Amino acid sequence: MGLLNRSQVLWLAVVIASAPACAADWEIALDVRAVSSDGRESFLDNGQGKLRFDEDHQGIQLGRLRAALDQPFGEVFSAHVEASTWDDDDKNPIDLTEAYLEYRPYPRAGLRTRVRLGAFYPPMSLESRALGWETPYTITPSAISSWIGEEIRTVGLEGQVDWLGTRLGHDFDLQLTAAVFGWNDPAGTMLGAHGFGFHDRQTTLFGRVGAPQPDPAFAKKELFHEIDDRAGYYVGAQVRYLDRAVLNILHYDNRGDPTVPMPEIRDYAWLTKFDAAALRIETGGGWTVLLQGLDGTTIIDPGFWLEWQFDSQSALLAKRIGAHMLAVRYDEFNVLFFGNPHAPGSEDGNAWALAYSFDTGEHWRFALEWLRVESEVPARVVLLGETAFAAESKVELSARYTLSGSF
Amino acid sequence: MSRRDQQSVIRWIHAAALACLAWCGSAQTQAGSLTVTVKQRDDKPLVGAVVTLDAPAMPPASPIAAIMDQVSLAFVPDVLVIPLHSKVLFPNSDAISHQVYSFSSARQFQLPLYRGKAYPPVVFDQPGIVTLGCNIHDNMLAYIVVTAAPYFGRTGADGTWMAPNLPPGNYSLHVWHPLLNEPQDVQRTVQASADRAAIEVRLSRELRPAPLKGRPHSWDY
Repeated sequence: MGLLNRSQVLWLAVVIASAPACAADWEIALDVRAVSSDGRESFLDNGQGKLRFDEDHQGIQLGRLRAALDQPFGEVFSAHVEASTWDDDDKNPIDLTEAYLEYRPYPRAGLRTRVRLGAFYPPMSLESRALGWETPYTITPSAISSWIGEEIRTVGLEGQVDWLGTRLGHDFDLQLTAAVFGWNDPAGTMLGAHGFGFHDRQTTLFGRVGAPQPDPAFAKKELFHEIDDRAGYYVGAQVRYLDRAVLNILHYDNRGDPTVPMPEIRDYAWLTKFDAAALRIETGGGWTVLLQGLDGTTIIDPGFWLEWQFDSQSALLAKRIGAHMLAVRYDEFNVLFFGNPHAPGSEDGNAWALAYSFDTGEHWRFALEWLRVESEVPARVVLLGETAFAAESKVELSARYTLSGSF
Repeated sequence: MSRRDQQSVIRWIHAAALACLAWCGSAQTQAGSLTVTVKQRDDKPLVGAVVTLDAPAMPPASPIAAIMDQVSLAFVPDVLVIPLHSKVLFPNSDAISHQVYSFSSARQFQLPLYRGKAYPPVVFDQPGIVTLGCNIHDNMLAYIVVTAAPYFGRTGADGTWMAPNLPPGNYSLHVWHPLLNEPQDVQRTVQASADRAAIEVRLSRELRPAPLKGRPHSWDY
């Protein structure tokens, strides 16, 4: 991608964030876990297990240490940077998950434009609404959000137009989004390698997914590279009814050229397209219903055409009573390699999650989660000599302490 | 004499004139009171409804200096009623910055990103409803009702508001609430007498859903 490389785009946002301007807001959050898991060897350690913490990673674990900076820059510009450390086998001990510059002018006549430049998540998860792109409902996000956190990041330019209907006496607001981006050509490679996962381990911008592969032929674990010099795009729309209901749709296409290789990471540009929809309804009684759906394909062509179809659906019901929240979620996920459910590369599964959380609203948040994932993964037989079917469960306790301030 | 002193004197003169008018009026015909009760469709009281009583011959109430604060990512109060030509100060009691705007036809303005010290007050010279928002926090929503009526107020917990010392005569009564869902403006003509009078206004439709409360501020809305 001609003018700037990935690092230059990201550090542009960082440099602007550090320029002297209005007071900046900062936040640091330490999330420590106590884990009991019977999970198979995790995908983070090159296994075919679905969980972040497997049988060999129980006990006290670092959930995440996160630092965020929000720096206004003049009247209508601001920069946002999110850095995290996860204490695992990623390339860098601390790395960025998002870094972008935002232009947010004053609304006029009910319309407002917003522009973001840098690296950030596309606006598609109504679940990951807490700071640091975390879900407040459970510890482990849905299969869809787990995958987005693992493989998808916009490194580019996004524009939004808001029609602020509720400020004009109407009951609805509307938002349209369009973006062009690069440096996400490997998106899809993890779906091909291990399918969907259930984890809150967001892939960092300069890092990789977990431990390095001992076999360099399978080293493809870095996701934010530009391989084919073709920009991708997404377009989306969001409709809101007061502050009660949000419907979000997104069409994503990284326009990868699946024939172009990148020898340094032993990977190709994956042509990944998907449609995503999400609906969130909240009631005055503290209930939340959240439905999500994802449907797409990913393709590479290293001399022969390889195609994976994937889809996932998720339904969550949560009840909030003051600082307490109970949530239950059901997920289904499916990857189909060449239309053959028995081929390595295909998978079929479902998951239940049950979580209780207590958020003091100030510094502390505690959460307890039970998660069970059942999956049929033919690759387990071929690659690992395991049974194709696995039922993996974990119980996880999270204690998170957040400090914030301004300077 | 400073501008502030001048305003005090003007206000004092207004008050004195009104008192004189009230006294003169009471000498001829004794003022009464009017109690307005606003009930929802299901008979529950409508709390916080804005009630205005207008009479063509009467001037608007004297302008006031009011405050619309920002506390814990919310405007406080959620509804502010002010007479025409009043000034409103917008302090920010939060530790974080806000960016207040309105593009309502009654008053369009914006207060660039700020925290701490407030900007000079905003003057409201047109009657109407001004919808406020914060450009940083889209869930922040409040209203300023600018009225040319001589008498106005908001209903209390029992859904009532009382206008004491009301000179007898015909008044145009308006009721407004941010959650109102009525097909037309809620308007009545009432006659105030020397006695105590009362009127009940009952809504024909259910209210629109109230804004959700208690969600953590850190959530994306």
